[in-house]
Parts: sequence; structure tokens; C-alpha cells
Amino acid sequence: MDDRIAALREALITLDEETAVAVTNELIDGGTDPQAVMQGGLAETMLEIGRRWTAGDMFLPEVVAAAEIFKRCNDIVEPALLAAGGKVLGHKVLTATVKGDLHDLGKNMVGAMLKTAGFEVVDLGKDVPTETIVEAVREMEPTILGLSSLLTTTVPEQRNVIQALDAAGLRRGVKIMVGGAPVTQEWAVEIGADGFAPSAPEAVELALRLAGDERLAKA
Amino acid sequence: MSAERRIRMMRRRLTIEVLSDDDLERIHRATLTVLERVGIAISSERILRALGDAGGTVDLETGRVRFPAAMVEGMVALAPSRYMLAARDPALDLQIGEGNGYLSLDGCAAEIVDLDTGRRRLPTKADLVQATRLADAVEEVSCLWPCVAVTDVQPHLQGVHQTHAQLANSTKHVTAMSTFSARDARAVVEMARVVAGGSEALRARPIVSGVQCSIGPLTYEGDVMEAAVEFAEAGLPCGFVAMANGTATAPTTLAGHLVAVNAELLGGIATLETLVPGAATYYGPYRAFTDLRSGGIDLAWGPEGFLFELAAAQLARRYELPMNILGFGTGAKTQDWQAGAQHAISLMGVAVAGEADLISATGTGYGSRVFAFENVLLDAELFDLTCHLLEGISVDDEALAFDVIEAVGPGGHFLAQAHTRAHMRELWMPRFFGRDTWEGWEAAARPEPRDLAHERVREILAEHQPEPLDEEVERELLRIIDAHQKEGAHHG
Repeated sequence: MDDRIAALREALITLDEETAVAVTNELIDGGTDPQAVMQGGLAETMLEIGRRWTAGDMFLPEVVAAAEIFKRCNDIVEPALLAAGGKVLGHKVLTATVKGDLHDLGKNMVGAMLKTAGFEVVDLGKDVPTETIVEAVREMEPTILGLSSLLTTTVPEQRNVIQALDAAGLRRGVKIMVGGAPVTQEWAVEIGADGFAPSAPEAVELALRLAGDERLAKA
Repeated sequence: MSAERRIRMMRRRLTIEVLSDDDLERIHRATLTVLERVGIAISSERILRALGDAGGTVDLETGRVRFPAAMVEGMVALAPSRYMLAARDPALDLQIGEGNGYLSLDGCAAEIVDLDTGRRRLPTKADLVQATRLADAVEEVSCLWPCVAVTDVQPHLQGVHQTHAQLANSTKHVTAMSTFSARDARAVVEMARVVAGGSEALRARPIVSGVQCSIGPLTYEGDVMEAAVEFAEAGLPCGFVAMANGTATAPTTLAGHLVAVNAELLGGIATLETLVPGAATYYGPYRAFTDLRSGGIDLAWGPEGFLFELAAAQLARRYELPMNILGFGTGAKTQDWQAGAQHAISLMGVAVAGEADLISATGTGYGSRVFAFENVLLDAELFDLTCHLLEGISVDDEALAFDVIEAVGPGGHFLAQAHTRAHMRELWMPRFFGRDTWEGWEAAARPEPRDLAHERVREILAEHQPEPLDEEVERELLRIIDAHQKEGAHHG
């Protein structure tokens, strides 16, 4: 393996943000195949972080930190990858905290954990209007849409998003998972979502199941 | 010997006192009055004569000794406040009197909960081997009493078989029990010498200690006291525990109960120090109460036990004596709400009492009568939790975290901060307390902490291999057991 790819892996797994970003820049500027940087440097390291979380050797704050570093590196690699005609790996998950809700930490934890399972996560942020979500689903064609809301007052927005997707003819093309403190399995069924998970790690199992991933064997 | 393996200990920063200075003095003076006017019974002429020579008023006919107050105070002052309980692995030595609280297995439970059937039955030597192997692997347990009575050997061989099972299956400090006579004690001392590498090596590093128990009210069996003297003469620490039972073998009032227990312990310690001045010992006020309806041991362990722990620690501090106390008390038969609540409250009493070198009763239930493997791990979890809470709150610039609060600012989060990673492993993490989501808990068939502990016991027993004894040492121990058996057969 390229020594600098190894250095990137080491920087990401030890959560050394500055080194990870610097090495990624060096690799891309130096003409290394962006696919190799993405796969060998970033994606495989996120999977290793996921394995360490499963083994109890790393905790969620470390996964979140890794996901933040991953995002910065990804922002460097992705344009080069797309310019070279490469494809982004893995199933795409689109996440959003629904309109009216500013609580996005839980959704961010889910996104971080999903990255450790090889998902490509695109986050729309918080207080996201329904129309924005519908448009993003149309454009990005994600495998899974994750909708989060923390408040009992905003949780009905999850139903509105699903109905809007239905009306736009997009509902069949995407699996929808919902989460947040007031959300239950019963609620998920009631609003026609495909699944619910009560915690970030359990959301990974759900996403693997919804994506039809064979690694589900674990659960 | 594993250099990295450590034992966990309790370090105290909190002390709650339940007795005022005046209360403490009144209990002390009442105790001295009891020892002077009532005295204690010791059925050993040799020991009574020695006490008489040292100033005690002895009645050989009734087997009673009455102690002048100055004699009690003078003799108790000879007991060292600090000493070592050594271990086969020196990394596991216990420093007694240094403010450390070490968790100890309990002694000689009459029954064991079978790991396979979940039913209670009489324990065997094989059970003690397994329990000792388990405790060897659990870092919260520092001191090994024979936690079940070995009932598949003749009673006078219990002590040697138990000591053998303990020494051969752990490198931690071993306390010998069931030494009912000087001869039993001699056999145990001989075994300890073989493992330690001779008399002087054992004296320098006592890898075995003894413990003897009074009989309430105010009585020591002569043979038992002679066994204590035998240990002390060989340089082995020998503690005393008193289990006077409030309402039955001690007064009903807590103050009177404390006086009775204190008199038994100070009488025992003063006796040992008279015969072997400077002998290492400890003060073991074990609380027990009588159930007013059944007349048995009170299995609904409650607030009196907590108060007793606080007061007993004040007495031990007053005498500058190391203390051994029960850390856990419950009448529960299984690892349920009652067991958890009672074990947590009783251990908390010990934790905030500010004194207790050895904390016993680990692994027990049903009024310390029954041993269950799972209880060792669950009690260790409570001990670990308690150690953490006794660490208190650190308040310095790093802990106040201004820089990170500023860096995150309003609306951000602390999860990805290096400060979080630097300190998050200081937070306590449970091993058996449930922390699943409701859904995860249901998916796992609603596991209880006891189920998780049960699985972990099985894993440890399947995997853990204690450091074995040298083969020649092992043969020598068996020879001593054999000789002790033959001696018993000759002399009855």
C-alpha cells in the first residue's frame, strides 16, 4: 500500500484531523487515483472504526469525530473522483431533521455510525422544509431517506414528508427510516415508514436491512 | 506472574460520622466496664493463665477473665495499624492500614447455588476451586476467604482442604478458615510455609492469614483462640470477627449492640496481643440482627445495618485498628431488586464510613448463608461503581473546560471534541446494569443483569487459568493434608 494512504488511514483512525486533511490534499494534488484514496484510505478506515465500535474499543464520540474528519477529507476527494468519472461507493443515505426542529445531534450520530458501515451519507441539515427533502430525493436517488425529529410537536412532519414523496411519485424508489425520541415502531408503521431504530447503532442494522445488505446476517 | 494485572481498591474522600465524640467515648467506656466487670469466657487454661500473669483477673473454674481497663488499652495499642497481607504474586499484595478498601470473598457459606441447576445445595471442594478461580480473575476481588465451606471432607480437615484449594487456584492473598484448634492452624501454617519458601520467607511475606470468630455474648472457644495464637506466632496476621446478633446474643439497642461487639473484639485482640505482642490483627464488627417473628437472622437487612457500619468504622478509627466489615447484606435468594438495593445500600455505608481495610460478604445472599457465582460479579460491579463515586469531582482548568465550551459555542456539540475523547474514558461504564434500548432489550429476550453475569461467570470459568503451584509444592501440600488426616485419626 502507498505509504501516504497508510498515513491517511492512521491519521483518520487516531482522529488526527489536521494530518488527515493535509495527507488527503497531498494525495489528490500528487495525482494519486482518487478511487484508491476514497476506498483504501477513507472508506476502509471507517469500516475499521465500525469494527472497533462493535468490539467496544471505540465509543460514539470517537465515531462522530471520525465522521467529521471523513467529511472534510471527502470534500477534497469527491470532486477529483467525479472528475475522473469514478463512482461513489456504497448505498446512499439522505438524512434530514424535519421542518421546525433544530435538534440534529441524534441524526448526526446516526450519520456517523452509518459511515462506519460503508454508507455514503448526505446530510441536508436541520429544520429542512418538506419540498427541499422531496427535491433532494428526486435528484440524488438515495437508497434510504432518514428523517429525524426530537419534538412531539415536529414529529408529524415525518408523515408530511412521506405523503409529499408519495404525491411526487417518489415514495416507491426510496426506503424511509424514522427516528427521534418520540418515535416508536408503532408510529413508523402508522405513517408508512419502512423502519424505526431507537439508537444510532441500531439504525445501522436497520439501514443494512433496508438496503438488503448481506452483512445483516449479524442481526 | 502477570505484571500488568492489578487489583482494584477503594480510596476514600468522604466520611460520614453518625456518633458524636461524646457518643464514641461513652461506648468506649461502657466497653471497658463490660470487660472489667463481666469479662469474657475463654475455655483454655493456657491462655487464661497467660492473661492472669499479665494482670487479668482469672477464674479458671468458670473459664472467665476480667480485664483491667489499662490492660485492654495497653494491649490493643500493641496491635499494628499497618501491615501487609502478601500474595503469591507480589503485584497483588494488600497494604493494610493505608486507607485502601479491599474487597474480600466471604467465609464458608453453608450452601451454594449450583451454576447449572440454579438450586442450592451443599458445597464441595470442587466448588471452592471454581469460586477461587473466578475470584482470581476478577480484579475487584483482592482477598480470598474460602467462600464456601468444603463439606465433602471430615470437619477437622476442612481448614487444610480449603487452604489447599485457595492456594492452588489463585495468586491473591488467602485467608484460612475452619481452623478449629492449634493443630489445625499448625497444618495451615505448614502449608503456607511450603508455598512461601520457608518460615522466614512466610514471616516476611505472609501470603496466608487467619481469622477467628467470637461467640456472642462474650465468649471465645479456647481451641479457636489457641489457633489464633498459633498463626500469630508464625508471623501470620489473624483477625477477629464478632457476629453478635442484636436482640438474641447482643442487646436490641444499637448502642448496646455496639458495646457487646466491641467488648468481644477488644477482648479477643487484647488476648492475642498479650500472648503474642505486636501480632498483626484486625477489628471485624460483623452486624447481625434477629428477626422478631422467626427468631432467625433478620433477612430484611435495613437501616440498622447501615448505621452499624458507620459507627463501627468510628470505633476502629478510635483504636487505630485495621477493620474488616461486611460490605453486603441481603435476605434475597436471587439477584433481584431486593438483592441489588440491599447490596448497594450496605456497600455505600462501608464506602462513606471512612474506614474498612477489608470488605467482606462478596458473592453472598440469603443472610450470607448462600454463595452464588453470579453475585461475585454483580458485587464487583457495585464495588467498581462505588470506587468511582468516591473519586469525587476534579475541579481544575482542564476539568472546568472553558476552552472547549468556547470552541463549541452556542448550538454546537461536544461529541467530536478532543477534550471529550481525552476524558470520556474516566466515566463509569457498567458491565451488567442494563443499558439497552427497550427494543434491543426485547430483541435479546429481556436479559436481566443476573443473566449477563451468569454468562460472564461461564466465560471466565471456561477461559481463566490461574498461575499453578509448582508440582513439588503441590505434592507437599497433599502430603501435609494426608499427615493431618492421619494425626486426626490417631487423636480423634
